[in-house]
Amino acid sequence: MLLYENKKGKLLTFLKIGLNPFKKFVATGEIKENIDLAESRFDLIESIKKIIEKEKNIILPVIGGVGTGKTHLFWTLKNKLHYHNTVYISLENVYRKFYYNIYSEYIEEMGPEILRYITSELCNKWGAFERKFGFFHDPADIDKVNKIAFERLSSPNFEDKNALSDVINAITTHQLDPWKKVEAERWLLGELMDSRELSNINLQYDLRKSSYAYTILKIIIENSKLKSVLFIDDFEKIISLMKPDKESEEIFEPNWLYGDGTSSPEKLAAEKTLDKILNLHTIEGLNIIITLKSVGALEEIKSLVKERDITLLSTFKEPIFLRNFEENDIYDFYKKNLEEFLININYLDFLKEDPNIYFPLNEKILKNIYHKTNGNPREIIKYLIKIFNDIIYSDENLEDIISRYENLAIFQQ
Amino acid sequence: MSQEDNIVLYDTSKEIKINGNFNGSIISVEREMNSIIFSDNIQISDQIRISGGLMVGFEDLYNEKVAFSKKADFLWSNLEECTLEYVVLIPKELMDQYDESQFSDSFPFTINMLHTAGLYLDESEYNFKIDHLDFFKGEIIKNPVSLIFNGLTVADRVAIDQRGDPVFYDCIIVGRDQYENLKVSYDPFLNVKIDDKVVKYIIIIGIEELKL
Repeated sequence: MLLYENKKGKLLTFLKIGLNPFKKFVATGEIKENIDLAESRFDLIESIKKIIEKEKNIILPVIGGVGTGKTHLFWTLKNKLHYHNTVYISLENVYRKFYYNIYSEYIEEMGPEILRYITSELCNKWGAFERKFGFFHDPADIDKVNKIAFERLSSPNFEDKNALSDVINAITTHQLDPWKKVEAERWLLGELMDSRELSNINLQYDLRKSSYAYTILKIIIENSKLKSVLFIDDFEKIISLMKPDKESEEIFEPNWLYGDGTSSPEKLAAEKTLDKILNLHTIEGLNIIITLKSVGALEEIKSLVKERDITLLSTFKEPIFLRNFEENDIYDFYKKNLEEFLININYLDFLKEDPNIYFPLNEKILKNIYHKTNGNPREIIKYLIKIFNDIIYSDENLEDIISRYENLAIFQQ
Repeated sequence: MSQEDNIVLYDTSKEIKINGNFNGSIISVEREMNSIIFSDNIQISDQIRISGGLMVGFEDLYNEKVAFSKKADFLWSNLEECTLEYVVLIPKELMDQYDESQFSDSFPFTINMLHTAGLYLDESEYNFKIDHLDFFKGEIIKNPVSLIFNGLTVADRVAIDQRGDPVFYDCIIVGRDQYENLKVSYDPFLNVKIDDKVVKYIIIIGIEELKL
């Protein structure tokens, strides 16, 4: 019979295996973050939620310095915006094949089941499942349905009529031609296809072609039951790409290929990407959140937008600022992370006796970290990783490590 | 009056007659030819009019019984001479369920008949026998309509099982209960034993008839 259990000792044993409750200090759009935002940011989330739920076709800038948690904000929003498809794109990684990448992310978020539902609804709208004599469904005449769809969708917003025609054809083939359904679904899911596969379903290009990806993106988003939010991280990448790096030595003169001596391939790509992002404005019901590091960057973006189309400036909402942690946030943040860690190692019992315990650290250390980092979340995590690594891997006693970090001077080194 | 209250629009045996113009999925059973009329509209007043309905049944042709389906407008200007036994409006929820369960889009191995044909006709009722059930054993046939016992079923498809019995899938069933009241229901499948002699006929509607 177990009479007494040394819970702290047991937790230390777990840690010594090499498990660090604080693993990564950079959030990404790919790896899900379960931990909620710090308490001082609850109001901020609520105000973003209100704007997103109330407004249509807006661009909402979120401004915050390096490491303030802009990407982490995406995961919190994704968890809070239940009736939205919230999709993440980082301009740091994705500025080529822009529409194709957004579409891929969107489909991944939505899943094939919803895609099938939307294509079925679309075919229904276009008269494919009309009931004859109140009961029967005509084995649909795909050409007739395509014609109706084309007439209904044809508008100046779809500049590339070939793309529109092919996208409609893919949707109707997916729903109405059982023999080609599988290929059509592969195409709709954004798979890369060779010319033989494409000709089998009577299409010219796959979704790598920009106008095709834009057309399908617009049709799917506008016909989805859920609203859509596109979260574009690292938006100032557009500016940095447009400004040539003066320190780098130019071996190849871009104007040999691109004509204008002031334009580099990166600048041209950045300009195209900005145009594409602004073109997303024509997709009804799509709200865009962009993250930037400073107000200056936002002003630069706005002036670039103004050069293109001054009316688009009205779509920019007032920026929301993501500030560093307040002092209480670090305690809250630490506790949430520790709790998540204990859940993962199936040892939540540790908190039963004292839910406010900061073991193996203490309040003083957390306070020192806060003051050293000025509340910058990324810096805070870096320190926590370092201290826990010391606890896990060093031969020193826990008491010695703790007393070392209780001394603010060590943070000055 | 809600749609639910108006399911039975006309019933001679219960002396029900609801006047009005009705749209939706309407089944009318005609007693003279034991035929069924499918339509998306009906007007009931001192006369009954169906525009663009599809009548399905068996007719005599050269001493044979031949299944037919005919697109036509129907008008009974004198209700005393009206040969309709009953008219029911299928509730929208049932039709939505019926639509959702159609699966031919994703399952290509279903037989569509080009022209309307009789799959089965009970000899004791009609003095003429048609039985192609054995021929279609193991196959799935689209758009069956069947008169069964004191009701009827219209289904998305019928599969003939290894014993030669029809299994209807995705069915709207109309029939009378023990008090002779008309009831409408939806069933994902309906298994019928042909030896029980409850099936009067099964007709497969040809897709040519369904193209407008």
